[in-house]
Amino acid sequence: MKQIPDKNITLFKSCLVSTEYPGIESSTKYVFDKTGIDYLVDERQTCCTGLGHYSDVFDQFSTTIIGARNFYLASDNNRKNMVMLCATCYAINKKVANILNKKDETREEVNEIFDKSDLSNMKYEKGSIDSTENIFHVVDILFNKKKEIAKNIKYDFSNFKIATHHGCHYCKVHYNDTIGGIRDPNIIDELVNACGASTIGWYDFKRTTCGAGFRQRFVNKDLSMDVTYDKLKALKNDDVEILVHLCPNCHVQFDRYQNYISNDKNDEFKTIHLNIAQFIALAMGADPYKVVGIQTHTVPVEDIVNKLETLPEYKEINEENKIGEENV
Amino acid sequence: MSNIKDENLILPRLEEEPNSDLRVGVFICRCGGNISDVIDIRKVKTSLNATVVEEFENLCSLNGRKIIRDSIVSENLDRVVIAACSPISHEKTFQDYIQPLNPYLMDMANLREHCSWIHDDNPEKATEKAIVLINASIEKVKQSNAVDPILCRTPDNVAIVGGGISGMSAALSLAKQGMHVDLIEKSATIGGNMAKIGKVFSPVKIAEECGLCLLNPILNEVVWNKNINILTNSKVLKCDRRGGNFSLLVESSPRYVDSEKCISCGKCAEACEVEVADSWNDGLSTRKAIYKPFSQAYPDSYVIDMENCDKCSECVKACPMNAIKLRGEKEMVPLNTGSVILATGHKLFDPKLRPEYGYGRFENVITQSELGRIMGVNGPTRGKLQKLSNGEVPKRIVMIQCVGSRDEKPDGHKYCSKVCCMVALKNANIIKNKYPDTDVVICYTDVRTPGMYEKYYKHSQQSGIRLIRGRPGEVAKNGENLIVRTEDTLQKDFIEIETDMVVLSTALEPSEGTKEIAEIMDVGVTEDFFIKESHPKIKPVTTDVKGAYVCGTAQDPKDITESIMQSTAAAAKVSEMIHNGIEIEPFIAEIDQEQCNLCGNCISTCKYKALSVKDDLMYIDPMSCSGCGKCLTVCDKNAININGNIDEKIFGTIYGMLKDKKKDDRRIIVFLDSIGYTAADNIGVNRLNFPESIYIIKVHSVNRVMPKHIIYALQNGADGVFIGEYPGDLMYDEVEKKMETIKEKISTNNMNPERLGFSHVYIPYFRGLADKFIAFDEKISSLED
Repeated sequence: MKQIPDKNITLFKSCLVSTEYPGIESSTKYVFDKTGIDYLVDERQTCCTGLGHYSDVFDQFSTTIIGARNFYLASDNNRKNMVMLCATCYAINKKVANILNKKDETREEVNEIFDKSDLSNMKYEKGSIDSTENIFHVVDILFNKKKEIAKNIKYDFSNFKIATHHGCHYCKVHYNDTIGGIRDPNIIDELVNACGASTIGWYDFKRTTCGAGFRQRFVNKDLSMDVTYDKLKALKNDDVEILVHLCPNCHVQFDRYQNYISNDKNDEFKTIHLNIAQFIALAMGADPYKVVGIQTHTVPVEDIVNKLETLPEYKEINEENKIGEENV
Repeated sequence: MSNIKDENLILPRLEEEPNSDLRVGVFICRCGGNISDVIDIRKVKTSLNATVVEEFENLCSLNGRKIIRDSIVSENLDRVVIAACSPISHEKTFQDYIQPLNPYLMDMANLREHCSWIHDDNPEKATEKAIVLINASIEKVKQSNAVDPILCRTPDNVAIVGGGISGMSAALSLAKQGMHVDLIEKSATIGGNMAKIGKVFSPVKIAEECGLCLLNPILNEVVWNKNINILTNSKVLKCDRRGGNFSLLVESSPRYVDSEKCISCGKCAEACEVEVADSWNDGLSTRKAIYKPFSQAYPDSYVIDMENCDKCSECVKACPMNAIKLRGEKEMVPLNTGSVILATGHKLFDPKLRPEYGYGRFENVITQSELGRIMGVNGPTRGKLQKLSNGEVPKRIVMIQCVGSRDEKPDGHKYCSKVCCMVALKNANIIKNKYPDTDVVICYTDVRTPGMYEKYYKHSQQSGIRLIRGRPGEVAKNGENLIVRTEDTLQKDFIEIETDMVVLSTALEPSEGTKEIAEIMDVGVTEDFFIKESHPKIKPVTTDVKGAYVCGTAQDPKDITESIMQSTAAAAKVSEMIHNGIEIEPFIAEIDQEQCNLCGNCISTCKYKALSVKDDLMYIDPMSCSGCGKCLTVCDKNAININGNIDEKIFGTIYGMLKDKKKDDRRIIVFLDSIGYTAADNIGVNRLNFPESIYIIKVHSVNRVMPKHIIYALQNGADGVFIGEYPGDLMYDEVEKKMETIKEKISTNNMNPERLGFSHVYIPYFRGLADKFIAFDEKISSLED
């Protein structure tokens, strides 16, 4: 397996995380702090263009320049290990790195633009960011810290029926870099295991897309919702209570549209949706509102949070401060 | 002329007249006017400095032979130059005509293809060039030594690794030709995959036949043939190679049952209480720890699977023949053989690597191989088709093709496994015949049934088998039944097929044994780890290790018919080597054992795998060495030489080409390998032109042209040096890389590196080569320094 860093990390902000589920970022930081990961968020960073790119708003060249600028920030901070919260940022930035390293002509054009814009310091030097060695998803970093995660678990998720949804842009694009299986993706399952809980493993439609398909959600809405519906039905068949995600776009598709589909199809669904960082943070005892940000979720998470029980070894310490209670 | 190793030392100088006391005879052929109509032979004759200069109308005729021989004897000639056509056409002829001289004391000046046919519009220039070409040959032959071709013979015994249909077929072919064969099989019986295949089918008869009934006579023949020694439970641990000799170390594991005594009564198995999955039935049934793999197995005796045996001794007590001993030692068997045939076969793709198809999660998802066992009358259900979940006959079976084949994702194989379409159709047909009410649907990517197999495909369609073009995405469970989700790409429709059985057509991939033997013997493999043939088109069954051949599915996926054909081809190749030996051109490397310090640089650098160390001595296998000379460049001790004075002959040729160069002459020296030389001949044959400045030297491998030769040429008047090589040559990449370093060396010698040119050459690309000569000549003429 490739080398996974735990220091000199740039934690790359995600538009969808910031605007839809900021708790994913704060949970990630919470878990990173607990497991001794050295990271920095650079406020100068911009969007990767992903949503716009896949909706034909940004072409590849604009995306490449923007990527090069963000790569410059990582190099400038001497934090070249770029870690993504979102599967789209992950795939987009890997592609940009490959283009900049392999297509000399494009790189020169990008650097010309920097020169013209009086930003020569941002010029990209071939090979300075490697797609495989420098660009990661949060799950990669956490996968490397499974032992530390296990040591910090305070709450018991083992009584819940949990399934996982692995984003396409993590598993199906740069699959030579994917950890934990491509045909049968299991990296989130293994992280759930590290929290002392288990998942249902394979389920029907496990590998299927969430249905968002970027612009498909808007221009081909029926198809998009049908795909999500297939998966929701499969989860319902298996009585899944928690679906754990790694991509905020999938998270939006399920959490924001679950009730919509439910009404449309006259079919009730109860599965709640958590990002893996939120899941681990909750299991570690993070504040469900201040850290995990469950108040931003459409499908209420409170039911699950209230059912969480402290692991016996932490019972005494946490007796007075039972999770969720003071804030509900 | 000195033999220079260090490029920076003094190079030979032109003024030195080497070996001037040798008596050289030059014989010029008029070639029925082809040469003499353009070239002024009289002028040529008067310009040459040789002991004898003769001309003749047709030198290659038998009269020509008489003239050459008489002259050699009467004039006491030491060396001969034939100024005639291309050596590609007649070198062998004239090597014979100069007897009693050694064949390598003759050189041909190519006055026809490279001179008269090129410069037919300018007789004067052609005549001048002819003189230069003959002079080059004169100087070359002065540097030649008498050398003899090397004859290699290999012992007439063969080791065949793998006792499946391929190994057995090759063994029989060789044994029937009188050769001794050691047939080495890892498992407890010979027979391989074909023994468990159930039915095979004939595209001609459009009918399925019993596989074991076809295999059994072959198996029996192998057993009865006195020239074949069968080693079961045996694997190759080590293999060393020395010029047509392999020494193998084979480890034979004990069977714990004396095959001579055992009468296969089966009482031991009745007494045994250990039940394990029976791999012969793909784990669909169980066998005991003491077992016979299948009833026709050879050796015809029981065997103990010691990994699972609990040593209770019940079998020992039950055996009426006293054939069982629970103790046994592994035996090391050394074998010395002349050749090795690798017939180590394939295994099947692990269907669990495609989790979406549910193999292992759903009982009624099985593989074609398992279906073959279920349909086999000697299988777990005695031939009755049934679902594993409840024993009922399935109402519908969906077969999924290309599981692991034509799959570009990790864990998949990019290649087509070639047999799966036929296997699926065969099993579907058998089912349709016996269970007409069962609906059989085959989901395929493309149906690949070339040749006569297409008739079988049509026959299958007529018998009601349904085919859907589309690669299923997944198999899901719906109550008791399964659902296959696929796109019907012809109807452009997504469909769900409800079924009660799914059969996966899994890819063929190299067996573990194939990968192991490739590593042990250092045989090259393909990117998919099949054993690689030396050339996929024109050198089938040969590997990059001389004397080692491959056949069957160890080489790539193929069916039984093709495997048998390839096996007999491998046997024919072995037979060729054994019966006539191989006559090898003597220009190969030799080691000065006094100088060699066994550093091993040459071993790793040799692309032909010709070098090895044995008994503390470096050894060059004459059968493998190509004489490319790469090893010389990495030998710090200068302990390697190429036989036949190649270096000196190149220097001599260059010297001869440049010695009478006038001030305003332009001379470009071109080195071509035999492919390039043939292309250059084609320029003449097609009466195209190239500049008079082009002088071509034929070399065995362009890698033999050293930087020192190039610098020598440039320092002594050559205006440019051009090197052409066929990209199919193993050394091509090396030579291409070397060009840059040579250019640097040219610069450090204060000359313009642009005077060196390099290009790939192809035989049909002769027009391109002529254009390149023209362009290079123009470039050289424009250079100022």
